[in-house]
Amino acid sequence: MLDKGSIISNISDQLRIKRQESARGKTHNELSNTVNSQADALKVKNVQIKQWADKEQRAEAQIHIRTKAMDAATDGIFIIDVKNKDFSVIYSNQAFQTMVGYSRKDIIGKNYFLLYADIADLRIAEEIKNTLQKDESFQGEMLNFRKNGDKFWNYLRISCVRDVNGVVTHYVGIQTDVTLMRRKDFEIKEQREELLHVTRVGKLAEFVSSLAHEISQPLTSILSYAQAAYRMLEGKDSQLQEILQYIINDDQRAAEVIRRLRSLLKKSDPEVKPIDINKLINETIELMATDVTVRNKVIKIALEPKLPNINGDRIQLQQVLLNLISNSLDAMEGRDEFRELSIRTSLNGSEEIIVEVKDSGCGIPKENMKKLFSHFFTSKPDGLGMGLSISRSIIEAHGGRLEVKNNPEGGAIFYFTIPVGGGVKEWS
Amino acid sequence: MSKPIIYVVDDDVSVCRALSLLLKSHGFEVETFNRAKDFLTFKHFKRASCLVLDVELPDINGFAMQEPMLAQQLFIPIVFITGHGSIPMSVKAMRGGAVDFLAKPFTDKELLAAIDRAIAKNKIQNKEQAELTKIAEFIKTLSPTELEVFRLVASGMANKQIAYKRGIVLQTVKVHRSRVMQKLRAKNVTELIRLAEKAKIIPAQK
Repeated sequence: MLDKGSIISNISDQLRIKRQESARGKTHNELSNTVNSQADALKVKNVQIKQWADKEQRAEAQIHIRTKAMDAATDGIFIIDVKNKDFSVIYSNQAFQTMVGYSRKDIIGKNYFLLYADIADLRIAEEIKNTLQKDESFQGEMLNFRKNGDKFWNYLRISCVRDVNGVVTHYVGIQTDVTLMRRKDFEIKEQREELLHVTRVGKLAEFVSSLAHEISQPLTSILSYAQAAYRMLEGKDSQLQEILQYIINDDQRAAEVIRRLRSLLKKSDPEVKPIDINKLINETIELMATDVTVRNKVIKIALEPKLPNINGDRIQLQQVLLNLISNSLDAMEGRDEFRELSIRTSLNGSEEIIVEVKDSGCGIPKENMKKLFSHFFTSKPDGLGMGLSISRSIIEAHGGRLEVKNNPEGGAIFYFTIPVGGGVKEWS
Repeated sequence: MSKPIIYVVDDDVSVCRALSLLLKSHGFEVETFNRAKDFLTFKHFKRASCLVLDVELPDINGFAMQEPMLAQQLFIPIVFITGHGSIPMSVKAMRGGAVDFLAKPFTDKELLAAIDRAIAKNKIQNKEQAELTKIAEFIKTLSPTELEVFRLVASGMANKQIAYKRGIVLQTVKVHRSRVMQKLRAKNVTELIRLAEKAKIIPAQK
């Protein structure tokens, strides 16, 4: 039999247990809620971390490919940090290193201008600094030195790199070694000048020769008149004879001046060699390329392939070509509707080569056709009138002919022939 | 003997006049021409002469004058005068009938010396020409048989060979031969051969 007291204590025990159980359940729920929400947060973080990692990886890949690309570039590229007042280089690509001859280790952290050692032109360095400090970009060509002391022509461009706020943080430079181009330009210029010199000397010689010829005529008659008179006065008037002797002496003095002038400008002997006329034409066009471009004209060529060589003097024939081409350009001067100049070569049978220079100018007036090749005839205000007459002499000395005709479609056609397997005669 | 005649061809009228005056003062007879054509159509004297010829003529290059002159049998030595300082090599090579080249202006001494050489050459030429004419006239008097005998003797055949070749008697050959000698005024066979060479009846011996 259970007493009342024990029953009550039993109930209260049970009640306590129940209470305890309920509290435990609540705690459990709370705990599991916390765990769940934290796991979710972790998941989000994980996704974020993965995204960051991917981004980082992509960025790295991009940097990698950019670095590779910079090194693959044929121009020298470098970056200067503006913060460093001494223009120190923080990056340079492979081509830059090759160009200047220093290793990357030598370059990074060094002043860009001092890289070219103390031989670099400091005035240019100042100019570059001044330009950049005005936040402008610089562009220019200068002579620099490699580590081993070799000179090279540097075509340099430097521009400013800005941050989001537009503040200049870096300079990026690109430089190209233009030494070869410069040398080629120089060679062409030199060849042009040599040819022009030869042409000038040729013109002068021809001019002097014509002048000397004209003057020698009256000198001949003066001398003979004086000597005839001298003889007629023999034993009659010695005083007049003395005067005549002075005339004779001075006539001979004048003749001597002419003789000396002639020997001074004596034409050098032609140098005869086998010549590929097509090649010569191409070379001549190359010499005139700048002139043609500046004048906004176009040269079209139609060269017969596989022409036999001709025997001739290169410089002289080039002089003729140059003369014909520049005449054609002059004929089209200032007229944009006439632009085209064409040069054609062809083989006439097996005996001669024909070279034709055709312009699209206004052609040659009929009344000038005959005089065109005479000395001192010119239709240009600043012309000497020697070019075509010299050209004709040269072509004739090569056994050919130089002729002109008007193109029915407009413009003039100058053409010359050169016999295949011919030689060169001396010409005067 | 009559005065030598000098022909002057130059397109410069004053040069012609001056040279004419000068040469006349030295006792020459002078004819001047301004064009090559005028000189070529002129009726020339059969006298010792010389041509002073300008190289640069308007109608013909002086150097090309030699051809029409030869065609006309005008054997006159030429003194070329030129206003161009030098004479091209190619021209010097074809001196042909030319005696001298003078660059203008030249002195009377230079001109007279050149003319003297030209006239001396012309005299020899004239003498030869006269001899040739004489020989040609003599040859014309030969009968066809005599001419044949002349040719054979001159080419070195003996009388017997000639007789055999022609199918005639030796005696007849001898008669023809002596007539040839007589008509050609030749004293011996050597002279006969020389005449034959000059008249181009047999090729010249080297």
